[in-house]
Amino acid sequence: MCFAASYTVALGLEVSRLLFRSRLRWALLLGSVGAGLLAHTLFLMHRAANGGSTPLSSEFDWYLVAAWVLAGTYLYLTIYHSGAAIGVFLLPLVLALVAMAEFFASQTPFPQSKASQTWGAIHGVFLMLATVAVLVGFVAGVMYLMQARRLKHKQLPAQGMRLPNLEWLQQLNTRAIVISAIMLLAGFLSGVILNLVNQRREIDHFPWTDPVVWTSALLLLWLVAAATFGVIYKPARQGRKVAYLTVATFLFLVLAIGLRMFLPSKHSAERDVTARNQQTQLQSVELQLACHGASARPGGLT
Amino acid sequence: MKFQMSGCSHHTAAVDVRGRLAFDPQQARQALSDLRAKFPGAEAVVLSTCNRVEIYTAADTPAGMPSHQQVAEFLADFHGLRIADIFEDLFERTGEDVVRHLFHVAASLDSMVVGEPHIVAQIKQAYELSCERASNGPLTNQVFQAALRVAKRVANETALNEKRVSIPSIAVADFAAQIFERFDDKRVLVIGAGEMADETLRYLREEGARQVVVLNRNFARAEQLAAQWEGKAAPWSQLQQCLTEADLVVSTTAAGEPIVTMAQFAAIEAARFQRPLFILDLAVPRDFDPAISECLGVYLYSLDDLRAACDRNRQEREKQWPAALRIVDQETDRFMADLNHRATGPIIKRLKQGWGQVKEDELRRLHNKLPDLNPTDRAEIDQAFDRLINKLLHPPLESLRDESAHGIPHALLEAFKRLFQLKD
Repeated sequence: MCFAASYTVALGLEVSRLLFRSRLRWALLLGSVGAGLLAHTLFLMHRAANGGSTPLSSEFDWYLVAAWVLAGTYLYLTIYHSGAAIGVFLLPLVLALVAMAEFFASQTPFPQSKASQTWGAIHGVFLMLATVAVLVGFVAGVMYLMQARRLKHKQLPAQGMRLPNLEWLQQLNTRAIVISAIMLLAGFLSGVILNLVNQRREIDHFPWTDPVVWTSALLLLWLVAAATFGVIYKPARQGRKVAYLTVATFLFLVLAIGLRMFLPSKHSAERDVTARNQQTQLQSVELQLACHGASARPGGLT
Repeated sequence: MKFQMSGCSHHTAAVDVRGRLAFDPQQARQALSDLRAKFPGAEAVVLSTCNRVEIYTAADTPAGMPSHQQVAEFLADFHGLRIADIFEDLFERTGEDVVRHLFHVAASLDSMVVGEPHIVAQIKQAYELSCERASNGPLTNQVFQAALRVAKRVANETALNEKRVSIPSIAVADFAAQIFERFDDKRVLVIGAGEMADETLRYLREEGARQVVVLNRNFARAEQLAAQWEGKAAPWSQLQQCLTEADLVVSTTAAGEPIVTMAQFAAIEAARFQRPLFILDLAVPRDFDPAISECLGVYLYSLDDLRAACDRNRQEREKQWPAALRIVDQETDRFMADLNHRATGPIIKRLKQGWGQVKEDELRRLHNKLPDLNPTDRAEIDQAFDRLINKLLHPPLESLRDESAHGIPHALLEAFKRLFQLKD
């Protein structure tokens, strides 16, 4: 995926801030991120057009769309705070999402009926936005803690490592918590409705005890608690406490994704069954073609 | 073509001498008019700042140029001083050294605080003033415009003026501005009315601070400073309340011991709900107990902390010095080569005109002898003659350009005049 290469170049340029000054870097940085975003957009459009469904119709697409939104957020933030080394923190997360899509996520579309397609899209979009908000909050939290530590120790900014001011980072942290809580709530509720719709139509649905359901519910509870804590307890709105909350939320998100990947889930099982069925079909086609002296193109069904 | 600079700077003259020789804008206007009247063959620019008074002159011929002695007399006369009292404090530069010196000054390499950015604006103002009084000319135009370009290049390609070296500027730009996004909605509390508080307020004002409260044991003095900064004065008894409401505190009292102890601050901290507080303790001894810096949300900086930051920045600036000097040297060489090459212009022009005339005569003669030529053949012959002249002229002109890199090639120009019989 060439857009990942563009983002890697941008990350390299961001890291080079720490080593030397350059007048060209800003233009190169915008150029590489812009080119990456363009390629990323075209890739997603191509998948949506060829797949005949929404760009969030598989786990693979879901991660790539999340990476696309995060890369766009990075471009906006880096233009707003042109001197700050935001990319050093944000771009590795963009690349991590792309890596998750490439190496861990299934490209098999989620099984859907027409009726559940709308709720499925709503569910996917809100969960994706909640994830992006958590990631942005995490980056803002880490930058806040680093900046606060530097200021407490009365140190001048290191070469190329200028960070945004604490007030702005704190606002970003607070907004990230609130937005991620709202998005996750909407995503969770739409997921519940989606499951009920599927249940009624006797399409594949999940038991309420499925790890996907309870890890999402736990993350939601944590975010609602964090947002409520900020409203009720005045000092929780200030400084490092907000930063710690966003960092903890990120860890919660990583835990939820990890549990979802490694615990047996009906969601994963259904997907795996579908994938296995498709794999079997591919193998039989290959066998037939081999019998006729032809070779099947690898990955032709995906 | 000749350049000269006479004047004094913080390197050669004490502050009182510089003060006596300085020109305010009105005086500078008058001085430029007087210089033009007294030395009509010379261009002049007067640069007068806190740290230097320099008169730059330039002329096409040495005859039009005032001597260092004449400029010194002019300075003394203008300010009503005896020349003997100032002559030892003055210094002069001539020729290429003037260009190099001006580039040094513009790049802020000759400033008292190396890298301070105001000098570029001051040079620009001095040059604009000379344009306004018509005392400038082609030479001063070239050298001052080049100086402004050099200053821009040094600023872009080095970090010479990026690092601040004054305590209030570091406190505001490197620390306060890293805490707060904006200052117009922040409450600034000034405790005491020292000179440093005044300077810090100037920087805070530039950042947008509007709500200033001044607290001083002498209420009248507090009112005076508050009026100066369009703020409010508060009685000393409101110290605790003001600290609870403040976002930034600048403290410069002359108290013998801390005016805010940790025990006193504990009550304030509880009422602030950990809202960020930037405290700039510029007093010696300290006004705030150092233990306060451990409180959540409090960023306390003492004079020693900021002085250490100043020293680090000064060292960083020194590291940029060689790169800045390289730029100045490159630009000086380039400027002098261009200037010298320009001096050969009249000779080149005459040479080209002379050979062009010969070409035209020969072509006319040839066309008369061959009247049956069609227009295409005619054009072909014309172009062949043009190419011939250009190829013949190329080696001598190249030699002239090469020689110009080391100064005006007077000997070569003389040889050209004699060889090709070029008349003045």
